[in-house]
Amino acid sequence: MMNRMLRNVRAKRKVLVVEDERINREILGNILASDYDVIFAEDGQQAVDVLREEADSVSLILLDLMMPVMNGEEVLKVCREDRELSRIPVIVMTQDEDAEVSSIRAGADDFIKKPYSMPEVILARCERLIELYEKKELIDSAETDPLTGLYTRDFFFEYIRQMEKYSDTEMDAVVMDIEHFHLINEIYGHSEGDQILRKIASTITAELGENYGIACRSAADTFYIFYAATSEGDTLVDRILEEMSTVSFQSAKIRLRVGINKHVNRLDPPEQWFDHAKLACDGLRGDYTHRVAYYDRAAHDRQLYHERLIRDMDSSIEHKDFVVFFQPKYGIDGDKPVLRSAEALIRWKHPELGMISPGDFIPLFEGNGLVQKLDRYVWEEAASQIAHWKDRFGVAVPVSVNVSRIDIFDPDLEDRLLGILQKNGLTTGDLLLEITESAYSDSADRLIEVVNNLRDRGFQIEMDDFGSGYSSLNMLTTIPIDVLKMDMKFVRNMLKDDKSLKLCELVMDISRFLDVPVVAEGVEEQAQLDRLKSMGCQIIQGYYFSKPLPADQFEELLENSGDFSAKNR
Amino acid sequence: MITLEALQKFGADTGKGLAVCMGNEALYLRLVDSVPSEKKFDDLSNAIEAGNLDAAFEAAHALKGVLGNLSLTPLFEKTSEITELLRSRTNADYKGLVAELIRERDALAALRD
Repeated sequence: MMNRMLRNVRAKRKVLVVEDERINREILGNILASDYDVIFAEDGQQAVDVLREEADSVSLILLDLMMPVMNGEEVLKVCREDRELSRIPVIVMTQDEDAEVSSIRAGADDFIKKPYSMPEVILARCERLIELYEKKELIDSAETDPLTGLYTRDFFFEYIRQMEKYSDTEMDAVVMDIEHFHLINEIYGHSEGDQILRKIASTITAELGENYGIACRSAADTFYIFYAATSEGDTLVDRILEEMSTVSFQSAKIRLRVGINKHVNRLDPPEQWFDHAKLACDGLRGDYTHRVAYYDRAAHDRQLYHERLIRDMDSSIEHKDFVVFFQPKYGIDGDKPVLRSAEALIRWKHPELGMISPGDFIPLFEGNGLVQKLDRYVWEEAASQIAHWKDRFGVAVPVSVNVSRIDIFDPDLEDRLLGILQKNGLTTGDLLLEITESAYSDSADRLIEVVNNLRDRGFQIEMDDFGSGYSSLNMLTTIPIDVLKMDMKFVRNMLKDDKSLKLCELVMDISRFLDVPVVAEGVEEQAQLDRLKSMGCQIIQGYYFSKPLPADQFEELLENSGDFSAKNR
Repeated sequence: MITLEALQKFGADTGKGLAVCMGNEALYLRLVDSVPSEKKFDDLSNAIEAGNLDAAFEAAHALKGVLGNLSLTPLFEKTSEITELLRSRTNADYKGLVAELIRERDALAALRD
C-alpha cells in the first residue's frame, strides 16, 4: 500500500490502452503520453496477460469493445471477478450507444465515444476516474486493519451508526482480548503474536459468517464484535472460544477474555456499548476460572454512584452537608430510664442527591480510607456540640464517636483528639471512643497499644458491634475496654429466635466477667427492654426511646428530661 | 507526401483531425498516409465477396472508427453508411458500395503523389 501511494505521488500513472486498431492506438497514445505512461494491448487476451503481469502498477484501462480473440466485454468480466484487477477503473471506448448499457452492467466506469471527442475531454475523464479510485483506495486502506483484515476501530463505529439507521434488532456488544498478550509478544516474538491475532480475526469472521454483525480490531489485542443478539445464549462467543481452544500455536498458550454487553442500550452512544463490554472483560483480569463476563448495568450504576460520592465528599465536608445526629442512650439500671449520653451518627444531606443513607457511604469510605476525614469531621462537630450544651445547660453529655480502623494507624491520633477537646474546653470524659472489633483482627498489636495510650489519657473505649466479629474471645483477654456495645442484630432477633437470645446472654456473661457495662443497641420494643433489663443490661439505645436526632431536637430533649445532673452517664 | 491542403480539398476535416492528434501535424499526416494500406479495406471486400456479413460488419465498424478519428469525411461517411446497413443486415448493393469506398480510398492514396 505504501509503495503504491509513494509511486502515485512521485511517478506518472500507467494507463493500459486495449485497442485492436493500430491507428486508434497511436492517436490515444499521443493524447495520453504527456500525462501518463501508456502501455498497449491489441486484443482482450493480450490485455488480460498484461494485467496479470502488471496489475499492481496499472491505474486505468481504456478498453475497446469490439476486438478479435477476446472482446472488451469478456475483459471487463475477468477484471471484475478478480480481486486485484477490480481495483483498476475501466473506461470503455465505443461507437455504439447500445453498448453503454451492457458495459455499465459489466462494470465499466465511464465511456469515451468514437470518433474521439476533444483530447482535453478524454484526459479530463481519465484524470477524474484515476483520482476517484485512488481516493477510494485510500479510504479502503483506512477501513481495514492490514494485519487482520477486520475493520479499523473508526470505520467499525461508522458502520455501526449506518447499521443503526436501518435496524432496531436487539444487538450485543462483545469485547475480546488476550490475557497477557504483551508477554506473548515478548516471549515468543511479534510474528507469533501477529499469527495469533490473525487466527482470532479469521475465526471471528468465519463464525460471524452471514449473520448480521461486524467486527474490528480496536487496539493491539482487543477485538470488538457487534452482532444480532441470540436467544439461545452466546453461541457465537462459545463457538469462537471453542475454535480457539483447538488451535495450538507454535509455543504460546493463549487465554481469551470475553466481555459481553447484551442487548445494548440505544440511549447510550455506540462507543459506550463497548466501553461497558470492556468493563466486564477487564473484570476477568487474572481470573482463571471464567472466560466470559457480562456487563451488569446495576453494578456499573452502583460503581458510578460510588465514584460520585467519593468525588463529592470533600466539598460536602467543606459545606457541612454532612450533619451529625445524636441518638440518646438511656440508663435502665434505676427505677426509671435516665438519659445518660448519646452516640454521634452521621447523615449526608447531599445538595443534589438528597439524603444519603450511611449504609451507602460508610462502608464505601471505610473501604477506601476516606472515612478518616469523615471521622475527624464528626469528632469536631460532636465536640463543639458538647461544648455548646455544656455552655448552655451547664451539663456534660458524653457523646460516642467512631474511631475507624484507619484512625488507629494515625500516629497523631491522640494529639488530634486531645487538640479537639482542648479547643472546645472539654475533657477526655466527654468524648467516648467507639472501636469495632474488626479493627483488632488485622492489627492487634497496634490496636492494643493505641487503646492503652488513649485509656491512659482518660478516654473511655467502647467496643462497637460486639459479637459480630471474628476474634472476640481472644481479643477480650488482651484488649482493655470500658464498655461493650452489643451487636444490634442480636437485640433485633432476641425475641424471635433462641440463638440470638442465647448470644445476648453470652454477651452479658462476658461483660460481667470483664466487669464492664453493656450498651444494647437497636432496642425498639418494651419486651426487648424488659428482657435486657432482666439480663442485667444497663444502657439502652434504640427507637424505643428515640431515633437519632438533629442537634436542636436533642437539645429539646435535654431541656425537658431534667435527667442531667452534673453527673455523667 | 500528403499535405493538409490536399486533404482539405479531398474533403477531410483536418481541423478536427489535427485536434484529435493534439495538433501534431506530423503524426496526423503519417496516420492518414497509412490509411490506404489499412488491411481492413481488403477484409471488408473479401467478406462481401464471400457473403459473410458478420465479418463484413466487423471490418466496416473498425474502419469507421479509425476514419472517424482522423476526420477523413468522405471515407468516413461511406463506411458509416455501409456499417449501418450491415448492422441491420439490410439487403443492399454492398459490392457497389464497397467499390465506391475503395475508389475513395484510392483517391486518398493518390494524394500522396
